[in-house]
Amino acid sequence: MNLLNMETEELYYEVTVYTENQVGLLSSIAGIFTRRSLNIDKLVVFPSEIPGVHKFSIRTHTTEEKMKQTVLQIEKKVDVIKAFYYEHPNNTQKEYEAVRKFLQGHEK
Amino acid sequence: MDYVTKNKVSLSGAEILLESLINHGVDTVFGYPGGQIVNVYDKLPLYEDRLHHILVRHEQGAIHAAQGYARASHRIGAVMVTSGPGATNVVTGIADAMIDSTPVVVVAGQVGTKLLGTDAFQETDFIGLTSPISKWAYQIRRTEDIEWAVSRAFYIAGSGRPGPVVLDFTRDAQVGMAELKGTTCDFIRSYRPIPEPSEESMRIAASMINKAKKPFLVYGHGIILSEAEKELEAFLDKSNIPAGSTLLGLSALSTDNPHYKGMLGMHGNLATNTLTQRCDLLIAVGMRFDDRVTGNVSTYAKNAKIIHIDIDESEIGKIIKTDVGILGDAKHVLSRLTELIDKRESYDWQMEDIMCNAVEKHKVIDPEINPGEGYINPGEVVARVADKTEGKAIVVTDVGQNQMLAARYSRFAQSRSMITSGGLGTMGFGIPAAMGAKVAMPDRQVCLFVGDGGMQMTIQELGTIMQEGIGLKIILLNNNWLGNVRQWQELFYGERYSATRMVNPDYGKIASAYDIDYAFVEKREDLLPAIDKMLSDPTKPFILEVHVKESSLVFPMIAPGRSVDEIMLTSDESFEYGN
Ligand SMILES: Cc1ncc(C[n+]2csc(CCOP(=O)(O)OP(=O)(O)O)c2C)c(N)n1
Repeated sequence: MNLLNMETEELYYEVTVYTENQVGLLSSIAGIFTRRSLNIDKLVVFPSEIPGVHKFSIRTHTTEEKMKQTVLQIEKKVDVIKAFYYEHPNNTQKEYEAVRKFLQGHEK
Repeated sequence: MDYVTKNKVSLSGAEILLESLINHGVDTVFGYPGGQIVNVYDKLPLYEDRLHHILVRHEQGAIHAAQGYARASHRIGAVMVTSGPGATNVVTGIADAMIDSTPVVVVAGQVGTKLLGTDAFQETDFIGLTSPISKWAYQIRRTEDIEWAVSRAFYIAGSGRPGPVVLDFTRDAQVGMAELKGTTCDFIRSYRPIPEPSEESMRIAASMINKAKKPFLVYGHGIILSEAEKELEAFLDKSNIPAGSTLLGLSALSTDNPHYKGMLGMHGNLATNTLTQRCDLLIAVGMRFDDRVTGNVSTYAKNAKIIHIDIDESEIGKIIKTDVGILGDAKHVLSRLTELIDKRESYDWQMEDIMCNAVEKHKVIDPEINPGEGYINPGEVVARVADKTEGKAIVVTDVGQNQMLAARYSRFAQSRSMITSGGLGTMGFGIPAAMGAKVAMPDRQVCLFVGDGGMQMTIQELGTIMQEGIGLKIILLNNNWLGNVRQWQELFYGERYSATRMVNPDYGKIASAYDIDYAFVEKREDLLPAIDKMLSDPTKPFILEVHVKESSLVFPMIAPGRSVDEIMLTSDESFEYGN
């Protein structure tokens, strides 16, 4: 996508966020969307395949540029392990691999 | 209480909290008691010899004092308040610490867990209130979790990009009993505070630096936070690249450093803003392109490729499109870059700032700090204090014209010498922050510049200064206006001075009520002797009120939203490079 499109063209995105099981994370993640005036079109939270790791699945629509920055701000939260966004969902297997890799050797 | 730890005797949650604060290096806590933290206060006298509690006059004072303490000393500030109103009173300071990356830990009392969510007396959803404006906010519900939570809090507050952490301490956890374990924390699996910079990105950056004809470096608070002052200096010495500082980066380089060209942004120097627009490579280190620095983003550094070095990935590309982003700690990245770059003796463009400086001196600086006659200018007071302290003082500011002038006309001989509320611009920050700075660094002179508006926002802290005998120097630049807003009204709102005129109290009487030494100056010949008197005993507080020119304006100025090269020199004259 060229730069101009990144700034103006709105697309649907699927955001997935892997987190610790920590009270209050839902509202602080939702708050990051609100601050950037992004609508949440769909939201599901559930325990992921990885024990102790929760997964948020969020649908939104915005520009790629805003999407990227929003996901970085989500990832910045201390209790967030990793966050991803896709124009086309269905990357679950790849995500699990990435999360497992990130946690590897850090199971203190 | 050593026998307690050795024999693993159970302690109350209140004691465990205090033990863990001490274990994490806290020697001073700024706070205010109340119903939901009284259990902790009850145990405080047991720790008197190791933990000094400073009773402020309003909780906002506690958090700003902790910020001043942290910024002056590179330690973590600690705050303790009660639930409800005690907690909400520190919200401004938490937001301020977040945006200015200041490490503080706030412990707030909370009602018992059974009462949570019932609108109990002095219950407020403090986690909900603070999680968007803190680095981490956690509610401690069980006594056995206290040490874990405190050790995480200190690790998170101080590591990576620092920030405020909130611990919402329920009554159950305070009164329950548990064993003290001495828990520490240096790892959280979901959190990578210091990213490893990519060698490839540093090599690309180095080759861009080597090829650049007109490179310019801009730096911010990140240099001070990562203690990268020496590495920055070494990089500049080898590369001979000129550098400019953000408001929060001030003092990271000494103002005498030959590479230092001044402050960036709205009221920054002509040279730095002009170099920004004329450079072909902008190297940004530990700064976040605040709009007070960039002006109109679409024309910012319009001729330059951009290298952005930051520890926070979400900052890279947030405001300015970067050509190379280097994610990492400034200290580490700068030292590696210094190895990778070629030694350069000089650049053809190195002289470009000289013309800017000559214009600025003639049109702005001399008229401000050496007017010769007429009213005393506020910038003149700053310059005279800088002369007398030889740039060795810690300068603290409030917000407004006093802040911009203190930033422009202070000199800095060492790092951690400028403490100001940058990102949030919190009026009332000054007095308590200066208090905290002086408590942290009792051997340094601490000079606060404050306006009559900001002075009265936290003036109650004079009581704390009196009670604790904190020897800070308050320089009140009294113009009888909310000067900064007045300036905007004069320049951009047709001189309609809505709600900016301020009728002031007799500050001499206030000073004497608090038993603080005071001097009032309105004639130029009295200024230097009064400053001497103020500085004569660094252990004693002093208020120096100077009646300054009321309609004074701060220049140069880049009007909000304008491009960094549209610089006003006076109300009706703008700066054109090369003319
Ligand atoms: C808490 C808060 N309220 C309002 C403002 C907006 N504001 C910024 S500067 C300023 C005027 C400051 O006046 P004064 O303290 O007298 O300082 P001066 O500009 O005259 O040096 C105001 C009202 C602010 N920054 N912070």
